[in-house]
Amino acid sequence: MESFVLNKILLISLFLFTSLSFSNDYTQTKTWFGDPDLQGVWTNASLTSLERPDYFESLEISDEQVELAKKASESSFEVLDNPYEDGETPKSGGDVGGYNAAWMDPGNDFIRLDGSYRSSVITYPENGKLPRRLTRWALEGPFIYRMFTRADHPEERSLGERCIVGFGSSGGPPMLNVLYNNHYQIVQSPGYVMIMVEMNHDARIIRLDSNHNPDNMKPWLGDSVGYWEGNTLVVKTKNHHPQQKFRAGIRHQILMMEGAEVIERFKRTSENEILYQFEVNDNKAYRDTWKGEMPLRSTNEKIYEYACHEGNYAMANILAGAREEEK
Amino acid sequence: MLNKILKFTSIYVFCFMSNYVLSHHAFTAEFDANAPINITGKVLKVEWINPHAWVHVEVIENGKKTVWMVEGGTPNTLIRNGITKNSIKPGVEIIVRGYQSKGKLCLPRCIANGRDVTFPDGRKVFMGSSGTGAPRDGADPRERR
Repeated sequence: MESFVLNKILLISLFLFTSLSFSNDYTQTKTWFGDPDLQGVWTNASLTSLERPDYFESLEISDEQVELAKKASESSFEVLDNPYEDGETPKSGGDVGGYNAAWMDPGNDFIRLDGSYRSSVITYPENGKLPRRLTRWALEGPFIYRMFTRADHPEERSLGERCIVGFGSSGGPPMLNVLYNNHYQIVQSPGYVMIMVEMNHDARIIRLDSNHNPDNMKPWLGDSVGYWEGNTLVVKTKNHHPQQKFRAGIRHQILMMEGAEVIERFKRTSENEILYQFEVNDNKAYRDTWKGEMPLRSTNEKIYEYACHEGNYAMANILAGAREEEK
Repeated sequence: MLNKILKFTSIYVFCFMSNYVLSHHAFTAEFDANAPINITGKVLKVEWINPHAWVHVEVIENGKKTVWMVEGGTPNTLIRNGITKNSIKPGVEIIVRGYQSKGKLCLPRCIANGRDVTFPDGRKVFMGSSGTGAPRDGADPRERR
């Protein structure tokens, strides 16, 4: 009997010790007005793309797979950085390209969550792919084609070129990593959370414990309201601007049709990290809900004013180029 | 069969589009693939502005002066990497290889995409800090607060 009790005490002690040893609960700091503090400058720069590349078979990938993928990424940037042989003049009919790797800042590692590297931002569907409703995507083809080929006037061009919002879904929601300027600054005040997106200097103002605006109001970056669920900020966004229905970057291309709703969750898991999770409900463009997650990591970097309109010489050059081609 | 057609259509759209989304804007809409350039000149000034930086270069060929504006990327990345407009001083000689803009009026200046910009000894004018071109993204714990 004595031995039985002793064993029980030992087991309970072991359980308590194990629980304490492995619990890593971050003590959430609060703002002066008592809300969980998410403030700071954060980055989601990462080599992980929204959708899982075909060469990965699972969400979690090994260190060896990550090393191989990083080497491949480095090689592709070296090619980008050295387009010509010494002394070679570019060939007529060649690729005018963009710019070289020095101008890019896509991150230098894959997403790592719960101690494992991730092959995709998407966690659901389990195959890591967008559950595209192909008919809708095909129907949007002409809209997309026009956006990138017509240049009769500035309004025909894409929103990024027009300095309206950043390209891809950098500003979100959902906020997805692009090739550079993957920085966000979160500022809180009583009743509000503001997310400043570096790419195009967009500010998303989230009203807390508030109702959505009328459905006919469709601001850039959508209409976001939020509330606190414990220490987690839950944000619901709908009424996305119709001109933002197609968002494209190298690492993702998504549709966000009228009626789409995005639910985001921000939970600070350590001094240096916010776990950012989201789900997209859009039954016009997708057969199913899709979900994703990534860390937002704190950084000492400043956010530089993007001031896009002031220096956007490219727009005039694009329009001038189109007029030249009409001759 | 319908599914295959739809898949092909959507893939076609995105293959087509991928040429246009590498950057803030479509370089293929701005520059002429049939007008390659290989010029050497002295830097007049650097406009360290968003969305894209511009390097002004004076080229002298056969006694004729031409000023070129060469387009780069967002300066934010280079600033984070410690490179500023003062890193490329006026008067420094550089070689620009790339393509001229579709509009060729050269008024007030000729325009080109600086696909490859080097010093005469072959060093790159704009250097990334690592193979992935990623200076500081917070992934390294030493960068954190």
